Amino acid sequence: MPGPAVVKKKLVIMGKSGAGKTSMRSLIFANYTANDTRRLGATIDVEHSTVQFMGDLNLNIWDCGGQHKYLDSYLSEQKENIFGNVEVLIFVFDLETSNKESEYVLYDECLQNLGQFSRDAKVYCLVHKMDKIQDPEQKKTVIEAYRKTLIQRSSMFRPGVYGTSIWDHTLYKAWSEIVYTLVPNMAVIKKHLSNFCRLTDAAEVVLFERATFLVVCCTSGYDDEEPRLEKYMSVSQGIKLYRNSCADQMSPFRSTHIRTRAYSLFIEPFTKSTYILVISADPEVEPAVTKANIDAARAHFSRLAD
Amino acid sequence: HGGARHEREQLAERRVLLMGLPRSGKTSMIKVVLENELAYDTLVLLPTQQRTAYRMLAGITVYDFPGIDDYSDSQYNTVSPEVYEGDTTALVFVIDSQGDIQSAIATLFSVIRAAQSVNLLIPINVMINKVDGLSEELKQDIQHDIQQRVLKNMSIENLDPSHVSFMLTTIYGESIREAFSKVIQRLVPQHSSLETILNSFCSKSSLDKVFLFDKATKVYLSTDSSPTFSPRYAFACKTIDVVEEISSLCAPYMPAASAAAAAAAGGGGGTGGGGSSAADDDGALLQRVNVGLDGGYDEVFMYQVSHALLLFCFGSPRIINQTSLLEFNGSKVAKAIRKILSA
Ligand SMILES: Nc1nc2c(ncn2[C@@H]2O[C@H](COP(=O)(O)OP(=O)(O)OP(=O)(O)O)[C@@H](O)[C@H]2O)c(=O)[nH]1
Ligand SMILES: Nc1nc2c(ncn2[C@@H]2O[C@H](COP(=O)(O)OP(=O)(O)O)[C@@H](O)[C@H]2O)c(=O)[nH]1
Ligand SMILES: [Mg+2]
Repeated sequence: MPGPAVVKKKLVIMGKSGAGKTSMRSLIFANYTANDTRRLGATIDVEHSTVQFMGDLNLNIWDCGGQHKYLDSYLSEQKENIFGNVEVLIFVFDLETSNKESEYVLYDECLQNLGQFSRDAKVYCLVHKMDKIQDPEQKKTVIEAYRKTLIQRSSMFRPGVYGTSIWDHTLYKAWSEIVYTLVPNMAVIKKHLSNFCRLTDAAEVVLFERATFLVVCCTSGYDDEEPRLEKYMSVSQGIKLYRNSCADQMSPFRSTHIRTRAYSLFIEPFTKSTYILVISADPEVEPAVTKANIDAARAHFSRLAD
Repeated sequence: HGGARHEREQLAERRVLLMGLPRSGKTSMIKVVLENELAYDTLVLLPTQQRTAYRMLAGITVYDFPGIDDYSDSQYNTVSPEVYEGDTTALVFVIDSQGDIQSAIATLFSVIRAAQSVNLLIPINVMINKVDGLSEELKQDIQHDIQQRVLKNMSIENLDPSHVSFMLTTIYGESIREAFSKVIQRLVPQHSSLETILNSFCSKSSLDKVFLFDKATKVYLSTDSSPTFSPRYAFACKTIDVVEEISSLCAPYMPAASAAAAAAAGGGGGTGGGGSSAADDDGALLQRVNVGLDGGYDEVFMYQVSHALLLFCFGSPRIINQTSLLEFNGSKVAKAIRKILSA
């Protein structure tokens, strides 16, 4: 059976200089830690990178340096080049900006161009550096205020608005959701994952993207609707950091298996582009059985997800 | 301050004496290793005014002394000679690698003279601290320089250098935990029996390396007698952290009734054969992490000895795939270790 054709999608990250665009890109796609981002310099013009993703998705990332001279050119002679064929526009707002109004003006201009060259693009607004606000209530208020204003200003695009920070899970959460909408056959993958979970009597099953360890899909055998995404984000970040230290050791991370009297847990390479986490809450289920189930599902999912 | 007699009563039998110039990093080390504080949070520590005791594993107590400005200072002469006594007493002297090394060494000598006059065999561990940010070459140079000066002066003064050792440390990394491990190992009860057990575990299970870890501090109490490479130790620490984190996140939610049932079933189920008392009720039996490329990868696994201790083993996957053998051996070793340490 021939695999599905490679899908190329262009993702543009836009925002004022210093807003945190390159930082978030480096955290999500290049194994940086939050501390590492202090070393980043201003981005010169546009930095292109390509990331291989699930479902033969090729993400073409355009990180657009935000200094004035570049912005001016994006909005004039380069506008077709920048805003043409865009699948996703991510606009980063700096919570600590010195001039909120000019940030909004830039946003308006970007959307105008997007409307002209890529009418069907999806827009996400990340209100970034939320760690600067301590009080959770105040955080909510601030994001709500941004959301209201942004929805008003973005007539034809209905942007998703997220508060993010490189210092906690919010950034992973936002990016997981953005990427989720991009993978072509996500609904099918999710359905099969639920089946797998039910057939193997697993308590929880989570699919991570291999390179970024973003959570792509999760399901559980519990009938409650408890949100566990936060938890999986933490696992993902833990593994990602650990993977870096393994790489320093010249012995790349491969898999882990934890077994206690109450449960057992596997984190295993799954398909070419994914890792799987399987938690089994039944201590009677032999780990070897769970492992065999994972192996059996691998071939099936490889057809779906790679 | 209490007199000598009083002090003798107060001091723990197994003890580490932490001394050095002010701001060399003594209290920070304790905060980071024993109390799991972040290194960054030590930036705001106040000077230590009084000798402070910190309990750690296996009945060992660390005494944090106020920084010594000037050894002739009367405040410092209140250290009574008895604190140095005993064959389960170890001295740690901390030197700030970026500070005044000259006066640090002068003070070190005052301490050595005082200590060796009552206890010739007392181990003297010189920790050259704050080496973060220094190049590998510079670190070696600094250590070499300090070592030469100390050893030369000792021979001039006719002091016995055979119990002096030097290590490079920083609280921003695992080197400080490794240094503490080396200091406390010979204070652990029956440390030579522990080593023998671990040696035999290694050879019987064909493992490359085994550490007996204190989970809370990630200090190791013992290891087999094969050489210990620092990167391996640091890697073990990181692995313990990630496994702890993942298991605390992922321990499934259980309604009270089935939790009780699982606990009851725990005694019998789990390990195949003989492992029933292997771990605490909530404890992990076997935790393993594969690292490395397909084919020639390394594998590590952890076996819980008690709620506080775990065995950390390195081996090749060929060996480690024999789960039941490992669990069996692991449970025996764990039992022996528990017996030794509770005796
Ligand atoms: N407090 C805080 N600082 C952040 C966050 N994200 C990024 N930063 C910091 O913001 C600074 C600028 O980040 P960059 O990613 O280089 O900004 P940029 O948007 O790429 O800037 P240009 O390339 O000039 O457009 C860096 O020092 C980051 O460490 C965040 O979430 N919180
Ligand atoms: N860069 C660096 N600073 C350290 C290190 N250890 C301790 N410090 C800092 O040195 C200062 C003095 O430490 P403190 O523990 O109070 O010293 P004490 O007087 O010997 O107990 C604190 O600001 C610590 O953060 C280290 O390994 N590296
Ligand atoms: Mg940039």
